[in-house]
Amino acid sequence: MAENTREIVLDTLLEMERSRIYSNQMIKAVLDKYDYLEGQDKRFIKRLAEGCVERKIELDYVLNLYSTVPVNRMKPLIRCLLRMSVYQILYMDSVPDSAACNEAVKLAGKRKFTNLKGFVNGVLRRIISRKGQIPLPDENADPLQYLSMKYSMPEWIVQLWLGEYGREKTELLLEQLLAIHPVTVRFAGWVTGEAREEYIRRWQQRGIRVTRSEQLDYACYLEGVEGLAGLEGYAEGAFLVQDVSSMLCVEAAQLQEGDRVMDVCAAPGGKALLAAQKAAHVLARDVSEQKVERIRENARRMGLEEKLTLEVWDATQPQESRAESADVVFMDVPCSGLGVLGKKRDIKYHVTPESLESLVQLQRQIVEGSWRYVRPGGVLMYSTCTIHRQENEDMCSWISGHFPFVLEESRQLLPEDGRMDGFFYARFRRKEQPPI
Amino acid sequence: MAIRNIREIGDEILNKKCKEVTEMTDRTRYLIEDMLDTMYEAGGVGLAAPQVGILKRIVVIDVTGEDPYVLINPRIVESGGEQTGSEGCLSIPGKAGIVTRPNYVKVAAQDAEMNPFELEGTELLARAICHELDHLDGHLYVEKVEGDLTDVVPAEEDEE
Repeated sequence: MAENTREIVLDTLLEMERSRIYSNQMIKAVLDKYDYLEGQDKRFIKRLAEGCVERKIELDYVLNLYSTVPVNRMKPLIRCLLRMSVYQILYMDSVPDSAACNEAVKLAGKRKFTNLKGFVNGVLRRIISRKGQIPLPDENADPLQYLSMKYSMPEWIVQLWLGEYGREKTELLLEQLLAIHPVTVRFAGWVTGEAREEYIRRWQQRGIRVTRSEQLDYACYLEGVEGLAGLEGYAEGAFLVQDVSSMLCVEAAQLQEGDRVMDVCAAPGGKALLAAQKAAHVLARDVSEQKVERIRENARRMGLEEKLTLEVWDATQPQESRAESADVVFMDVPCSGLGVLGKKRDIKYHVTPESLESLVQLQRQIVEGSWRYVRPGGVLMYSTCTIHRQENEDMCSWISGHFPFVLEESRQLLPEDGRMDGFFYARFRRKEQPPI
Repeated sequence: MAIRNIREIGDEILNKKCKEVTEMTDRTRYLIEDMLDTMYEAGGVGLAAPQVGILKRIVVIDVTGEDPYVLINPRIVESGGEQTGSEGCLSIPGKAGIVTRPNYVKVAAQDAEMNPFELEGTELLARAICHELDHLDGHLYVEKVEGDLTDVVPAEEDEE
């Protein structure tokens, strides 16, 4: 079975090189396909595949130190095979180094690269013999390259944060993003007090580690979960997966019971559903039927369908007939996602400075298209899941400068021990129209 | 410089049609100065002469606080688009209502020296031009309001 799991990971990594599918989706699809495997094998596949994505920059750096052929000139199969083997050697204590190496050599042969078995063996043996003393770039002479390698983060992103937060905070941030991420769930409004304790007890009996959030009494963190659909309370809609940062954003909107709310970029619906619990009604929209369907599924399961109206609508397109119809409008705009790199591991390799530029344009179009829905005196909640001044603080100044809104509160949340994503929110109040 | 008394809804002068201004006199010049002072003092962005009890076709508008316009004998020569939004009036204090107006208008008028000029406006400026010109013909926004009038909460009392 051991060869089999490694070959599955190898094919997964190869497929990721070819397609643009996000790694978390790809790994989930692979695990679904091989659902019949032992739990232990599935955990091995998940850990190894995720690790290779997460640590790619570091793995390539190590390979380039000890290989005569640079990583970018290797055959794709050999490149993927070496990356996953180096990951086992450096990060998986449960795998003996010799096994990692031998299995790699065998796989190279099996996949018709018999002539490269010696090369694979040589590179991996050299790395095994230097393990523990592999030199990183000089921390003081070249902090940028050092941080980039150590935390597998593209240099330009490290640079962005160094400029913003300085050395110490940047390193902390990079470390937090690599921390293990528990699953965060929020109890539905009708699950209170003793009912919460009861669910938690039952989950714990399954061997899941449950920690209550210190900030919000309806949130908790689950570790060691195999799948949520099988958990007690899932089918009844007793809980929903949602990051604490997104819950804090809804709390910051200070919703009142009678409020009419609009969420113009609502999928998968976490914010809209929490808002529906607190307010009178929520109009939740997103740009495609597929996205709206995700909100619908969650709304149905949580039993909140009647407080929610769902619509496919592109938030960049204004709709005059809805002008000033909402007390609170949520705008959780598409963003670079630098705050959720801990969960979506490959975003960091796909974003480019150019793509950031076009995102800022899109964000502005959404604000332009949707600000009028806020009634005078009402609230606009702007939010992103990124850590990037241009999309956050700078966007706030742009909003106050171009539209009749006053910024009341803004907050950049930084990732915390994997327990919270990096997230930004700002609460604006629309000025009353002066009398004419 | 003087602040004049703003007439409120119910005062029948607000329903009368105003007369063309044919010549600039000192009296009219003082009126214009007073209208600007009165508008700024009341925190408004536009004021028409009948709102201070004078049946002349004169309005003052300043939507930014930095660009005062004086429009004498104004008439709309072009308009386009649509905007639906909240509108309030100095003659109906503490209330607001939803009114649909053109999003763009071009107005031909004379300035304080009686020289003809044209002014184009969008968004709030377009709304203010339409609103003030209605005053000159004896109309108030409440005739056009969609739905009910709402109370306007002063900004300071908004927070808990």
